Amino acid sequence: MSNLLKYMVENASIILDYASTHFSLIFSAVAISLVLWIPLGILISRNERLASIVLGIANTIFCIPSLALFSVFVTIPFLGLGRPSSLLALVLYAMMPMVINVYQGIKVVDKSVIEAAKGMGMNSRRILREIQLPLAAPVMFAGIRITVVMATGIAAIAAYIGERNLGRLITEGLTRYHVEMILSGAILIALIAILFDNVLGAVERMLVPKGLKVSRSK
Amino acid sequence: MIELRDVTKIYPGQTVPAVKDLTLKIEEGETCVFVGPSGCGKSTILRMINRMIEQTSGTILINNKDIRETDPDRLRMGIGYVIQQIGLLPHRTIAENIAIVPRLYGWDKERIRKRVDELLELVGLDPDETRAKYPAQLSGGQMQRVGVARAMAADPPIMLMDEPFGAVDPIVRGHLQDEFLKLQREMKKTICFVTHDINEAIKMGDKIAIFEKGQLVQHGTPQEILSNPKNEFVRTFIGYDRVVKMLTLFQVRSITKKNSYSIIRENELANIRQKMDDEQSTVCILMNESTRPCGLITRDDLEKAGEVGPEKIKEIACSRKDAFIDGDLLLNDALSLMLEWNCDCLGVLDGAELIGVISLNDIRECVRRKEGA
Repeated sequence: MSNLLKYMVENASIILDYASTHFSLIFSAVAISLVLWIPLGILISRNERLASIVLGIANTIFCIPSLALFSVFVTIPFLGLGRPSSLLALVLYAMMPMVINVYQGIKVVDKSVIEAAKGMGMNSRRILREIQLPLAAPVMFAGIRITVVMATGIAAIAAYIGERNLGRLITEGLTRYHVEMILSGAILIALIAILFDNVLGAVERMLVPKGLKVSRSK
Repeated sequence: MIELRDVTKIYPGQTVPAVKDLTLKIEEGETCVFVGPSGCGKSTILRMINRMIEQTSGTILINNKDIRETDPDRLRMGIGYVIQQIGLLPHRTIAENIAIVPRLYGWDKERIRKRVDELLELVGLDPDETRAKYPAQLSGGQMQRVGVARAMAADPPIMLMDEPFGAVDPIVRGHLQDEFLKLQREMKKTICFVTHDINEAIKMGDKIAIFEKGQLVQHGTPQEILSNPKNEFVRTFIGYDRVVKMLTLFQVRSITKKNSYSIIRENELANIRQKMDDEQSTVCILMNESTRPCGLITRDDLEKAGEVGPEKIKEIACSRKDAFIDGDLLLNDALSLMLEWNCDCLGVLDGAELIGVISLNDIRECVRRKEGA
């Protein structure tokens, strides 16, 4: 234990450096995913045929082992080692949890609410903005939460293809059989994932519209 | 005014039309009830009027204007729409729910606030208590009220109501129906009302349109339909108690006889026969000291009883102290009371005041007249 702490203190600057790369990979992956997958999820909620195709693709990608996907991307010339390949892989992995949660969130909104709103003359954009998205928000956000936690873990594997992040402590530690190095990498990654999950979980609870939390008994 | 001309709707992938060659006119200020068994196309018709469904062929006119010429959202903003599931937005307060259409029209906040309070009061909810609540905090009946208030928010001349009181228990439904009828008497909106309940149709409708398998079978006033069912389907749909149902169309007041009875005090009971002969009446109402009716006796009762003293007469009369009915109630209620008290005659009250009598014969006469025999 004291060895572990000693290792971490002595290598604080490199660990911090790795951590910041780790964070920046997660943030860019999640940011790109939000921009791509939320609109796609909304789009397929209005077109069942498109939905089955997109959800099929997302599922298939999700089935590919991450190390395999990283390695394949490395062989593609304009991706190569490092950031572009890792980013692309993370964004593709995020497709499944994010698209499916946006789609489900919108789909489970009570049909009669939509029917009534439409019958009162609300156009479909307004229905989306004022009804479907607010009501789907908790489910959508659950998808984002899964994505972030998952990206934290998979990002570590990107160390194999040249990302200089916390995963590197594990890969290098393994080759050198440096126990403190392996443990500090593993513990930090796990802590980051748990931290993210808790913070986002709190945000998710805040997102539940007040009207859904009340009942007659209160 | 709503007019449907040769309207047919065939859903994609189906060969049997859901609605076939429907021609129907709903006059301004009239409540027309579409009634029929499930799957008869009544909801489809309703939903074609606000373009939630497009007809396959035919024309629908509102105030002589083809509805296809109006943008669907604009059209719907001008038509109140109430559905059985109500469809209140669960994440919005009651006030916000009611304000939806006014907001679409771009009313200012103050005007919306006033209108919301006015509507809540109109549908019998306390504005201060209800306005800030969420739908989940209301009972089924209260939600239905909010649904109606929301549909009336921008005071649309036309309302489409698809089983609006279908999701509440019979007692609450009765209240809601009564209150809505009262509102409608003042509002005079043009209403299309869908139900599968013939009793509700008779109660709510100025006109009833009966549908079977997408086709209009009979269209007319409740009385026309009850007294003259067009075919076996309508007859079966109405049920064996057709004539009793017809009684629900008339208030007791309408056939109350105002001067064919005698009034007697307790101290005059000995002379009751003489008094009834003099006044040529067949029924006598016993009044107490404070001139409240407290009993009822008919000539038949007297004859059956034979020569008896005033005490016995009083006993017979007082055993029917509840054989009185409010003039606002309906003839079927009167019939039921007559059977209950085994008595051909009831006293008719307006509040606590006696206004006349009604007899089984009067009801019979009334039915015979309405049946056109």
